[in-house]
Amino acid sequence: MTRAERLSIAGAATAHLVLLAALSLAWQNSQKMLAAPTDAVPVEIVDISDAPRTPEPPKPSMEAAPQETAAAAPEAETAPEPEPVKADAVPPPEPTKPTPPKPKAATPTKAPPSPLDTSTLSSLIDKALPKATKKPLDTSKLAKELNASAPARATVDPRAAATLAQAIRAQVAPCWNPPTGGRDVRRMTVIVTVNYSRDGRVIGMPQAGTPTGMTAANADYARAFAETARRAVLRCQPLRLPAELYDLWGSVEINFDPEEMT
Amino acid sequence: MRLILFTAALFAAPAFAQSAPLRVDINAGLMQPMPIAVPAFAPGNGASTEAGTTTQIGERAAQVIANDLKSSGLFRPLDPAAYTTTVGIDDVLKPDFPAWRTIAAQALVTGTVTSNPDGGITLACYAYDVFAGAEIARQGFVTTAAGWRRAAHKCADLVYSRLTGESGYFDSRIVYVSETGTRTKRIKRLAIMDQDGAGHRFLTSGQNLVLTPRFAPGQQTITYMSFENNRPRVWIYTLGSGRQEAVGQFSAMTFAPRFSPDGQNLVFSMAVGGNTDIYRFNLATRSTTRLTSGPGIDTSPSYSPDGTKIVFESDRGGSQQLYVMNADGSGQSRISFGEGRSASPVWSPRGDYIAFTRMGGGRFGVGVMRPDGSGERLLTNGFQDESPAWSPNGRVILFARGDRSGRSGLWSVDISGLNERRIATPLDASDPAWSPLLP
Repeated sequence: MTRAERLSIAGAATAHLVLLAALSLAWQNSQKMLAAPTDAVPVEIVDISDAPRTPEPPKPSMEAAPQETAAAAPEAETAPEPEPVKADAVPPPEPTKPTPPKPKAATPTKAPPSPLDTSTLSSLIDKALPKATKKPLDTSKLAKELNASAPARATVDPRAAATLAQAIRAQVAPCWNPPTGGRDVRRMTVIVTVNYSRDGRVIGMPQAGTPTGMTAANADYARAFAETARRAVLRCQPLRLPAELYDLWGSVEINFDPEEMT
Repeated sequence: MRLILFTAALFAAPAFAQSAPLRVDINAGLMQPMPIAVPAFAPGNGASTEAGTTTQIGERAAQVIANDLKSSGLFRPLDPAAYTTTVGIDDVLKPDFPAWRTIAAQALVTGTVTSNPDGGITLACYAYDVFAGAEIARQGFVTTAAGWRRAAHKCADLVYSRLTGESGYFDSRIVYVSETGTRTKRIKRLAIMDQDGAGHRFLTSGQNLVLTPRFAPGQQTITYMSFENNRPRVWIYTLGSGRQEAVGQFSAMTFAPRFSPDGQNLVFSMAVGGNTDIYRFNLATRSTTRLTSGPGIDTSPSYSPDGTKIVFESDRGGSQQLYVMNADGSGQSRISFGEGRSASPVWSPRGDYIAFTRMGGGRFGVGVMRPDGSGERLLTNGFQDESPAWSPNGRVILFARGDRSGRSGLWSVDISGLNERRIATPLDASDPAWSPLLP
């Protein structure tokens, strides 16, 4: 092939390309396209246990960690973390232990229950509310009374319990942020069982029951809903409540019901 | 002895009764965006991609995720200044929960970006409940380097759906009519962008007036009305190829098209002999079925998500109102009775509401009502709020807001009427439609 031949072939090829380009341009114009249409970039969803697909030698933790936690069930909070629990971390779950240390419990056979002045009790709780760190009044006498009369807790006036419940409500509700706008939000309620230590801290992981109104269709929503309730309990602690009445609030069932929310 | 036992039993009974835990009822909480930390994603390896280094992509991905979550109005991403330390791979997998608690983060989104041998990336996304000290979700996304935005949106969708219990909507796109020019010489072009405004581009040249673009469900096809050759007709645009095709061979004007939920049919209005009715066009057989008849303008049909019913607007009763009928045209009944006129109804993808435009007293508002017409609520109020469109999860409504000067732009509002916010567009904008979640 001579140089001239090569040149002419190259020329012809170029001409064809130009012609092709012009034709496709014309075709494109007829389609009125502006930008080259691009499909959405594909994204493949993978299980992270497979990741990272790195060509490099595996970085220590990234490679190791998925295996560490791979076994963790979706409810990861049930997987005990071997790491030492830090001081302010939530203690490891002991949900089954009710364990509020009993006040020096008098035996039931002793002393018949002395009537409690529940008005004192109520005012005590109410005052305890705003200034939590401060000890409310002198409660020792009342506590003694309670202790001495044990099964005294059995006979505590329901109004006292109601006041105590109100105190807990006032402290936990501000931390509750239920998922709003959900289709089923106002039909759902959930009960969270919480064990508190004497200093008002949550012991273990609060247990959320199955929300009412939960169906197969809204199970994801129900789970998120229950978690908002549990988060409220975990965020708003320690509770500031009279230690003398610890027997009453050591174990609490909180019913979260957003009926008053729009 | 017997007496003692009896006495003990007397005391024991109430003691047992009291052993039940104290019961507390909480009937209201606070509606506040959840504080969430989204630190820069850690580089899984040090490689560079065509979209930047993995470190850079990790930073930008975290910003996209934080912005998505913030835009929902349900989350408040914490200022990265609150946590100056860089999150490394170890922290991704074992977050220091007490430290995140001290800055009041209730949830934490972390992850890694790793470059793959083929030039693509893997974005690994982890979500944690900070107060429970527990991982709540994890997912990997493998894509091209340029696809990192979509991977970030998918991560945001994962977090959103896990924390709200509803499906996400961030990995989606918006098509709308971009407008420019004077009122008398308005140029209208179809434009498309990601839900967060990124990747904006024009689809048509503006040579012909275009109106009412609508996505096909589950696929990336758009139907719209164009005045091509001064002949107003319904067209279909395929995003992948950019191909456009007129629908049917109708001599009459066709407009207000919308796909059926299965994508097999189009419903639209056709004006024949001064009478406008709703027709169904089967895309496979190309057969046309008339669904409404009688005098008046029947238009803006929109299917229920299960495909059994159609809501539409009609002035058959004297003024524009909303009507619902079965998908075959039977059982037509009026559902809107409020003050003023009601128009442009759109059935929510989750089926529980119909969004519409309410006009009256010189004001326009976008509202919602249940499919039987009950529970009507106006969500917005403006000089000209119109053309509602639903987010893929039925939780957010996009609409066009015009002002007295003739300018218009896109806005969104939560179904609860909260979180009204403007969606930035390069030019004026109207007639938005939201795509389904991308596959």
